[in-house]
Amino acid sequence: MRSRRSIPVAALAVAALTLAGCGLGSGEDTSAGSQPTVDANAKVTGEVSFQTWALKPKFTSYVEGVIKAFETKYPGTKVTWLDQPGDGYDKKVLSQASAGQLPDVTNLPPEFALPLAKQSLLLDVAAADPAVTTDYVEGGLTAYQYQGLTGTFGYPWYLNTDIDYWNSTKFAAVGLDAKNPPKTFDELLAAAKIMHDKSGGKEYLMSRLPGIGDFTNAGVKIVSDDGKKFTFNTPEAVALLDKYRAAYQAGYLPRDILTQEYLGNSKLFTQGKVAWTTGGGNAIVDFQKDNPSLKGKVVPSPALDTPPLYVQGLSVSSKSKNQAAAIALARFVTNAENQAAFAKIVNIFPSTKASANDPYFSKSDGTPESDAKVLAFESLAKAKSLQPAVISGATNDFINQQISLAIAGKVSSQQALDAAVAKADQLLAQ
Amino acid sequence: MRYHRWFSPWVLVVPALAWLLVFNLWPSINTVILSFTNAKPIGGGTFVGLKNFEALLHDEQLRYALLNSVIYMIVCLPFLTIVPLGLAVLVEKKLPGITFFRTAFYTPVVASAVVVALIWQWILDDRGLVNGMAEKLGVISGPLPFLSDQWLLLFSAISLTIWKGLGYYMIIYLAALGNVGRELHEAAAVDGASAFRRFTNITIPGVRGTMILIAILISVSALRVFSELFILSGGNGGPGGRDSSVVMLIQQYSQGFEGNLGYASALSIVLFFVTVVPMLALARLNKKAADA
Repeated sequence: MRSRRSIPVAALAVAALTLAGCGLGSGEDTSAGSQPTVDANAKVTGEVSFQTWALKPKFTSYVEGVIKAFETKYPGTKVTWLDQPGDGYDKKVLSQASAGQLPDVTNLPPEFALPLAKQSLLLDVAAADPAVTTDYVEGGLTAYQYQGLTGTFGYPWYLNTDIDYWNSTKFAAVGLDAKNPPKTFDELLAAAKIMHDKSGGKEYLMSRLPGIGDFTNAGVKIVSDDGKKFTFNTPEAVALLDKYRAAYQAGYLPRDILTQEYLGNSKLFTQGKVAWTTGGGNAIVDFQKDNPSLKGKVVPSPALDTPPLYVQGLSVSSKSKNQAAAIALARFVTNAENQAAFAKIVNIFPSTKASANDPYFSKSDGTPESDAKVLAFESLAKAKSLQPAVISGATNDFINQQISLAIAGKVSSQQALDAAVAKADQLLAQ
Repeated sequence: MRYHRWFSPWVLVVPALAWLLVFNLWPSINTVILSFTNAKPIGGGTFVGLKNFEALLHDEQLRYALLNSVIYMIVCLPFLTIVPLGLAVLVEKKLPGITFFRTAFYTPVVASAVVVALIWQWILDDRGLVNGMAEKLGVISGPLPFLSDQWLLLFSAISLTIWKGLGYYMIIYLAALGNVGRELHEAAAVDGASAFRRFTNITIPGVRGTMILIAILISVSALRVFSELFILSGGNGGPGGRDSSVVMLIQQYSQGFEGNLGYASALSIVLFFVTVVPMLALARLNKKAADA
């Protein structure tokens, strides 16, 4: 009996001893490690690694061309290009960062760069290359500047935004005109009611739940100025949620949106089940490719409120052994000439100020596809990052869960937002 | 030619032992260690004492997840312990075409859980097969919210688990039924015992050991359910996350760059104890029955 009892005691003792010496690290870090050890005038030579996200095989020749041009411009440099698959990129970057093997230059969207910048794993590129603050558009730059951290943690690469798409056939069937679509959220709700009522509840206009971006658009402050507290449980946010809730209860939105993942909106539009979606400037091509019966029926228009700004950028590892070449490469890949060339083979927009007047992006040939591209380009001028990078994947999930609960009518909008803020604060503090 | 060296047994044991230490024991110990920290995937963490466990006590979602897990187990346990035995008895008979039925019952087991759950999602959504047929037949006026109501979603997932598990446990019972003496059935039949009496007095005692094993397997997998609820709820645990399971919460907390590994580890420890309790209870039940 005695020996049996001694087993758990011994196990606890082992656990306590292991805990005492587990050496989990110091947790918080200072930003001192983010400061570059070289400046923009340092000699560029030697080997440098460059990681992109799902550009092979579609853009292999473009990237190889840029790399070749870089190696020609800077004799003695050798770029090793790594391209990671689209799925699981966050996990790949996470494992590289944990193992201290982040490539010298890595394609990171702002929300991936933030946790790495917090741990001083990324260089403040503006400290090494002050021109970064003058050559790139403000929205791209601010995406890599975070509350509570000093510095710019990436060169803005390419940008995108969302515009609205409407199904003209469904509009016409209920007496609405897709050429004159809703321009505000309240007009959208009114059109959703008409579509529901005149189709006997069989057709839907809206098919998405509100998110943080919608609260930002409604003038709600999402995070406190010091970036340490969430503040989106305001009366304005409650009012917006109440409108969605009422629309859902009235049957203007499909009931199963409460279990759909984010892309449900555009999938339902592609399947011809709803009459409105948002999407990038090139989404119209995908809608018509995936469902040819939509050809000629999709009408683009500017986003209802402030359009969202989606940014991709190139960050430089603070552990890079060749900071000079890494900074030069990030700058070279994201310069106006290379970005413009990239934007002409894929539907993205350059983040450099020099590209703003390029007629390729600003003139339509009159087709709906070209109209959509020009609309998206024009929208970029007023587009903003609507969701702060401080909102992690888990935080976003919890917020969406609470929003679903309010929409389903299980709790009041105020209760749901209070619970979401409390949970988000808890996750932020941990 | 005798090779009785002292290290010979160790040489044979080392590969399995190394596997056990590296992939079972060390991760388990590490989980316990992490549960007392605020560790994140990058930058490590610091010792926070019982803070994670204290937070668990106030976690409303954990309460829902535990409730879901227990309901899952309570419903699945009788269904998947008894119905597959009945099926096994039926398909055990050597009749023409019986292989078709054996295969048909086993087919859901072969299909991937994700594929099956996706098909069920299509069947159960507002415009899916079930709602469509029920509306056409005039049984309901509007679609039933199978995938957006807390309880309907949970019971849809339970139905899926039962449907998928029937064939698997049926096969285990089929193997066990081969060990039940045919002569006992014949003798009982000669003595005038009915088919039901033979089932309760001969078949069930004959497969009691297997039954306990199956009950343990079902309890553990019901408490650790993930795929069915994850897919049917679109990955978000339904409105408010109230249809999450404990494993879904672990996944949710540990994901991404800002994953809270300390809290996720504390959840894993809770899950471990929740899983061990019914296992020990069933093992004790089995021992009592064997001793009797």
